[in-house]
Amino acid sequence: MAVASMSHGAIAEHEGADQLYVETRALRLQGFLLFLVSDCVLFSSFIFAYLYMRNSGQGWPPPGISRLDVSLGALNSVVLFGSGATMHYALENWKHNNFGRYAFFMLATILLGSAFLSGQAVEYTHLIFVEHVTWAGSGIFGASFFTLTGMHGFHVTCGVIYLTILFLQSVHGVYTKDKYFGLTAGTLYWHFVDVIWVVLFSIFYLI
Amino acid sequence: MHIDVPILEKTVAVVGGIIVALVSAKALKDDWTSVGIDNGVFKLMLGLLCLGAVIALLAGVGVLGNFPKAA
Repeated sequence: MAVASMSHGAIAEHEGADQLYVETRALRLQGFLLFLVSDCVLFSSFIFAYLYMRNSGQGWPPPGISRLDVSLGALNSVVLFGSGATMHYALENWKHNNFGRYAFFMLATILLGSAFLSGQAVEYTHLIFVEHVTWAGSGIFGASFFTLTGMHGFHVTCGVIYLTILFLQSVHGVYTKDKYFGLTAGTLYWHFVDVIWVVLFSIFYLI
Repeated sequence: MHIDVPILEKTVAVVGGIIVALVSAKALKDDWTSVGIDNGVFKLMLGLLCLGAVIALLAGVGVLGNFPKAA
């Protein structure tokens, strides 16, 4: 009797948790989207400040500073955009209960994100030690480039750590086929980081 | 054997750009009928991802960002 009442209690608790998940999912999604919008505002303010300063100067880049390496930038961009595609397919495979392919795409995303950070490190090393461009000593160009790409790189670093945690959680059974909001949030965050790079790549390397 | 690193980078960028643009366009097409706020945002993000891949592809082939060397 006691066992039966406990199991009924456990079932009721489980159903309550399911109901709570359904009721709060929309709120959590809205909260996460608001976080992304606030991050978008942060990037926008820096981007518009950069464009304003760039257009108020005499030519760009300033004298003594050569243009950024487009070929490395393009390669690095493709690596990051590729990670966006793999992240999308990781989530799709999770939804379709295909854990093997989910794990493959998730690990590919983490690897590609790390490769992008390595590419950024190569770019920074070249700029600092070969071109002698620094954050504080190269005027508006150095300050705006290192601030914006550094801020983006920080987001990518956080994203790689976030996705690694999500992957470990999914391996340990935290998410199910029906309850996977963490993975949805991780995918939204990673796509956001990709899209910000579309803008940064265009304004620093292509115009 | 001498390898021209910028040409190698551009080649990988072009090939990768084509692949990513096609894959993201297909993902967008597959998700086109899905509903909900999160799926709406995913569709927007996939569209921009496809645009970014095309931009990187055009930069790789030299259509964009092809500036003359400073004297």
